[in-house]
Amino acid sequence: MFFWKRTQKNAPRPRGLDQLSSSLAVNLHWLKSDVFANDDTIVFRSFKTKGKRPLDCVLVYADNMVKHEYLSQFVLRPMMRAAVPRGVRGREVARYLSEQVLESDGSEFVTSYSAIGDKLMDGVGVLLIDGCPLAIAVDAQGWAKRAVTEPPTESVVRGPRQGFGEDLGVNISMVRLKLSSPNFKTKFVHVGTKSKTRVAILYLDNVTSLELVEEVQRRIEQIDIDAVLDSGYIQELIQDAPFSPFPTIGQTERPDVVAAKILEGRVAVLVDGSPFALTMPYLLVEAFQANEDYYNHWITASFHRLVRYISFFITTTTPALYIALISYHPQLIPTNLVVSIAAARKNVPFPGIVEVVAMGLVFEILREGGVRLPRPIGQAISIVGAIVLGDAAVSASLVSAPMIIVVGITGVAGFVVPNLNDIAVLMRLSLVLLAAILGLYGFVLGAIAIALLLSSMESFGVPYLSTMTTLVPQDVKDTLVRVPWWQMILRPRYLASKDRQRLQGQDGGGGR
Amino acid sequence: MKGRLACSLFLLVACLVLAGCWDYIEIESLAFVFGLGVDQVEPDFVVVLEMVKTSGGGQQPQVEPKVLATKGQSVSSAGSALSNPAGQRAFWSHAYVFLMSEQVARQGIVPAMEYLARSRHIRSTVWVFITKDCTVEEVFKSRPPVANSVSEHLNAIVLMQQAIAGFIPLQVWQLGHEFAAEGISAVLPTVKLVHESGDLVPIVEGTAVFKGDRMVGWLDGQESDLLCLLKGVAQRAFYVIETKVGEHGYFPITYELVGNQVQMKPVIRGGRAAISLTLTMQFGVEEVGRAPIVFRDEEMVKSVEAQLATAFTRRIREFLGKIQGEYNADILGFGQLLKRKHPQVWRSLREDWDLYYRHLEVELDVQCKVVLTGVSAEPVRVRD
Repeated sequence: MFFWKRTQKNAPRPRGLDQLSSSLAVNLHWLKSDVFANDDTIVFRSFKTKGKRPLDCVLVYADNMVKHEYLSQFVLRPMMRAAVPRGVRGREVARYLSEQVLESDGSEFVTSYSAIGDKLMDGVGVLLIDGCPLAIAVDAQGWAKRAVTEPPTESVVRGPRQGFGEDLGVNISMVRLKLSSPNFKTKFVHVGTKSKTRVAILYLDNVTSLELVEEVQRRIEQIDIDAVLDSGYIQELIQDAPFSPFPTIGQTERPDVVAAKILEGRVAVLVDGSPFALTMPYLLVEAFQANEDYYNHWITASFHRLVRYISFFITTTTPALYIALISYHPQLIPTNLVVSIAAARKNVPFPGIVEVVAMGLVFEILREGGVRLPRPIGQAISIVGAIVLGDAAVSASLVSAPMIIVVGITGVAGFVVPNLNDIAVLMRLSLVLLAAILGLYGFVLGAIAIALLLSSMESFGVPYLSTMTTLVPQDVKDTLVRVPWWQMILRPRYLASKDRQRLQGQDGGGGR
Repeated sequence: MKGRLACSLFLLVACLVLAGCWDYIEIESLAFVFGLGVDQVEPDFVVVLEMVKTSGGGQQPQVEPKVLATKGQSVSSAGSALSNPAGQRAFWSHAYVFLMSEQVARQGIVPAMEYLARSRHIRSTVWVFITKDCTVEEVFKSRPPVANSVSEHLNAIVLMQQAIAGFIPLQVWQLGHEFAAEGISAVLPTVKLVHESGDLVPIVEGTAVFKGDRMVGWLDGQESDLLCLLKGVAQRAFYVIETKVGEHGYFPITYELVGNQVQMKPVIRGGRAAISLTLTMQFGVEEVGRAPIVFRDEEMVKSVEAQLATAFTRRIREFLGKIQGEYNADILGFGQLLKRKHPQVWRSLREDWDLYYRHLEVELDVQCKVVLTGVSAEPVRVRD
């Protein structure tokens, strides 16, 4: 019974047996039959050292997780040429090999089977030596990585063309390159009982408030989930206001954005395997800020930012206002327009509200259909949708021409603020329904409800609407407009940074 | 808890959907009234509506005006009765103009316009006109050359009234004020029909003079120009005046009014109230024709200015004679001025102001200046 139980795959190994034995044969037996049972990707490479007393050794590694040339050149070759001196026995052998033979930069000793298992899964080679109860783990990570390219979701005209990849180490190094200071700190937390995903918390310890860092770390450590495949998991598990559709944690694929947020006193979280970094706290105003705002001339940048606010207003309200006006308040539309809308709606069989909702749905279908398709097919879909369907629908009097314009401007304006595009759809729909039931009164009620929701939200202790509801000059410098860099002297107040001074002792061109 | 939530949600939705005041409308089911008018109030109201007929849909929407007229016991009842032949609900909020025939104006316009002042459906910014020598229906059925409908045509004329002299546009709410004010009589612009390349075209020219709410007479185009001038309304007006040029005789020269300032103040002369009226006008010379006039010559300019002042003094005297004597309507608001400046004097005169007004002395001082001569100071020279 006892033996049967032990060979069960998931049966816990008796406590004493997790320790490596000094017998290579025993170690190999346990590794093959228990830890790595039924796993054909694990490679066991046996070899012998030189000298009068050759030692039997086995190099264990997971296939395709390591750099093979590296292991051959800096582990196998020196090992096969080395001779262990007489008198070096037991644990001393491992120490001797690590200190004098192995030419690898990272190596440590491992004493248990489970540790060997973890190491191999991280792409480390493990060297087992006969007669030695220590194994040597040699860093040789090397798996296929994506090249650093410009992220498709946040392409810029001006600015660095770097985007995060899937490898955490590379991602951290990209941020570190932008913040070359020993104050730039990286804390690791492992999340996921099955995936053991590394999650890195990035901050500047002389700027960021430590309470914020601790809070972020506390929330991440509380996560108890089997696997984390993307930073989206973390985002949803630690965010404030989980029932609100508005994001309280920012996401970006760009190292320059992460560096900028950290410099403002925020915390960034990088998740291994995800090219999307999270930044927190995240306020509504950040959805309207683009990294290019800070690289372009401040006047044009401010103008573009205003365009973003206007577009967001257009995309969320146009259909609702259209419905409210044509169904309840035709007296508010200029006379020529109201007559031409009425003429265009002649012979259209559906009431205005049905038209608005149906066309909105058609637009979302076309968008969703195009989003996940390869680019050439996506374009074909847009052409079919926009030109063929739209034109035919108007000619056939299924929808009115003004409706096409409303849907078109709504859709195009929605892409101007990509961070809030998904929410804009929901806001639009709820406002349309309210406007269809109660007219402008309903529209205003909906707008008030949204304002209440927004003003009740917080992100990591910071009110969600901070800087948008104040007139203090210091706080509004980077909201509706972006003031020139020589005017942005201090870091944002609401982040309670340790070091508020951003621009030191400088009396820039325009003065303060 | 869940049941309660579902119950309250259901009630909420029921409130919204089943409420009787759910006034959702479809815009294409409305008949937009662009203009309305009253042709007759006794014995029955005759109400005329200009509506737009919208049709087409799809790629070629079309809009054309339709005129409907009906009898009724009041403006609103006749108006709503018109929804029936129109087959659509009349929608009043976009009305541009309100027309009344001479007959209605002579009998007093309050019964005809009261609905416009009261109704929440009709804007108080509707322009009011009196039709001259034609009925409202005829005006609405005429064909303006450019605009789509008569109402739009009249509205367009009002909007560019700065460029064409001759009338002071009035909206419904202002009309109410003018009726209510003491010591001033209302005037309304008039619409009449003229033949224009085979079609009857409505134009705005002249003024209807009221006393109380009854019309007492007309002012023609030239008199209306003077009215505008004396009311201080900035107008771009052209005046052709026979001008004596040195020893060369009289020539018709066209002057354009480029600026005018009016100062009217009541004065007491020997215990009698009088009005001191100072009119300063600036003119540009628009067209001299064959007149051998050189504007570098200061003497000549002085003489022209003096002639202009004389001509205008004469015209204004005639005009004042007409409104004081013939119509006895205080359309310039002399009484109102007197009331403001000398309330005691006004109190003693109020009872028989009409009589007093008829013989009210107006001290007239007209000053004219030629300030612009175009791009040439000399006439076109023709070699013999």
